[in-house]
Amino acid sequence: MSLDPAATTALEIADAVRSRRTTARQVTETLLARIDHTHSRLNAFTTVTTDRALAEADAVDAAIAAGRNPGPLAGAPYAVKNLFDLAGVVTTAGSKINRDDPPATRDATAVARLRAAGAVCLGALNMGEYAYDFTNENSHDGAVLNPRDPTRSAGGSSGGSGAAVGAGLVSFALGTDTNGSIRVPSSFCGIWGLKPTYGRLSRAGSFPFVDSLDHIGPFARSVGDLALAYDAMQGPDPFDHACAQWAVEETVPHVETGLGKLRVAVLGGYFAEGGDPVVHAAVDRIAAALGVTRRIELPVPQLARAAAYLITATESGQFHLERLRTRAADFDPPIRDRLLAGALTPSAWYLRAQKFRAWWRDEVRAVFRDVDVLLAPATPLAAPVLGQHTFVFNGKEVPLRASIGLFTQPISCIGLPVVAAPVHGVGPLPVGVQLIGAPWSEASLLRVARVLEKSGVCTAPVADLAS
Amino acid sequence: MPTVNDPAVLAEIAALHDAYEQALAANDVATLTRFFWDSPEVTRYGVVEHLYGAEEINAYRRTNDVVITDRKLLRRKIVTFDANCAVVMCEISQSARGKPGHCRQSQTWVRFPETGWRIVAAHVSLALAAPENVWTAYADRTAAALALPLAPNHRPGVIQNLERAAVIAAPLLAHPLPAGIEPAPVFTA
Repeated sequence: MSLDPAATTALEIADAVRSRRTTARQVTETLLARIDHTHSRLNAFTTVTTDRALAEADAVDAAIAAGRNPGPLAGAPYAVKNLFDLAGVVTTAGSKINRDDPPATRDATAVARLRAAGAVCLGALNMGEYAYDFTNENSHDGAVLNPRDPTRSAGGSSGGSGAAVGAGLVSFALGTDTNGSIRVPSSFCGIWGLKPTYGRLSRAGSFPFVDSLDHIGPFARSVGDLALAYDAMQGPDPFDHACAQWAVEETVPHVETGLGKLRVAVLGGYFAEGGDPVVHAAVDRIAAALGVTRRIELPVPQLARAAAYLITATESGQFHLERLRTRAADFDPPIRDRLLAGALTPSAWYLRAQKFRAWWRDEVRAVFRDVDVLLAPATPLAAPVLGQHTFVFNGKEVPLRASIGLFTQPISCIGLPVVAAPVHGVGPLPVGVQLIGAPWSEASLLRVARVLEKSGVCTAPVADLAS
Repeated sequence: MPTVNDPAVLAEIAALHDAYEQALAANDVATLTRFFWDSPEVTRYGVVEHLYGAEEINAYRRTNDVVITDRKLLRRKIVTFDANCAVVMCEISQSARGKPGHCRQSQTWVRFPETGWRIVAAHVSLALAAPENVWTAYADRTAAALALPLAPNHRPGVIQNLERAAVIAAPLLAHPLPAGIEPAPVFTA
């Protein structure tokens, strides 16, 4: 087999499987072996679903042999953050407490749709406990090690997803993003991530964190794979009350259409200040590649971040209240303290934050009358060292975990779609740039992403694990 | 410009203040009285008493029955001016009538040619306990109301997180919003 699945996109694998240049089983076995022999270097997987993966692969190969269409993701290998239900697997959500739960009886909606599209699920991925995390230093499952540098964080809370894709263990992965948990690992691991519009993809069968802010989305090493996985998961779902009654809008047919008349601007002010100069240099590099000189400021973005912070604390604390009452000692300590404090948040703060969100959404909608895509850094720094507690932001030492989401939180607070675009080479480590769009404009974002990918400004090569 | 903090003068005042503290510990009224300037112009404020003139101070000493125990000098600052004037400022922890407290004592010392160093003004005050952190009380009481146990080793982290949230919330709460804005818990982007 000439095809190396570790360095191959889902699109290429599906094509090779369909044209019988390889088999889904061969791809699956190769990657299962790779997962096994790289585990100690990455700690990305918490469960490897070998039997399931081989059965799914065999089903794809059987469909092809029988002349049936195996789906657009035929044999494409993926894995999911361990808060997605996989039938027969306990959904731990990064916790010790949920290990006592019975195994899931059915797949999450997103997983079922990917299976129907021919994708092969290799397992469940390490994450920050209950997703309340940006560094994935999980005390129960161990930290995820960054595939670009094992002394560094892969980001969180979908750290296993970022590492597995960056290391070429899978072609794509599913994660969730409440305040940045897709965009942060994308940035730290140097890969693509898509956080769609709030309500776009069904969250049914995923363990919740903050109902008002939870999104699911894919990670990949190519824009085409991001679009393919996203398209396969679209569609209304009665099992997620937030999932929009919005028809499927395929993005794959639009990805190659170029910039066209899309209006792009750099976000100034709050988003252009503070943090490592490297993250702003990455934005400048993308702006230069797209010929963008326009700068736009959003009104009081720091308050949108504050609103997201308070909504997160309040809803997650309330969601975990019974577990906090009975099993406080079994939580990861920093997450427990945040959840306990969140459970005590005054309702006046919470409702004010929700009102602010409604107001800010309208303010930002007005901004999108004159622009289609906004550029901003994904993170205020590149991957921090594991164990790091602070970093310097605007000349002040700030707490690391609470501040990694400064640039992502205002955006997810109002559910805007974002592609996290990886920029390698501005510093020793990659960093991500957010391509932010108006609601339901995923196709436009993927078009811009593809332009950047084709020009070589944004790439996501498989990490060299030897280094 | 007077000479400030001449080492010999500093040592002299430190020794006198040590002796004063010893007399206080022994409730040696005669010695304590002798340390004060014997004049109608001397003043001493206690935690509750306001004494003007040597006669009032002496009368107070004779009738004072407050038992002070566990007196510890936490910090002493002496400043001398030439060899004529000195200020002694102290922080003290002690128990008065069995109740622990944090006190401040200030004394102004002047050297008289005929009698030597005497205290010409003194003031003792009780430091009020730092006001209780609002989030400490809030966390304890709200947690109790929600039947949410806060383990002693979890409590400091919870309070720290509430304090951080309060700082983050403040500008949001201060930001004016138009009337009629409704919260959007099930949110449509």
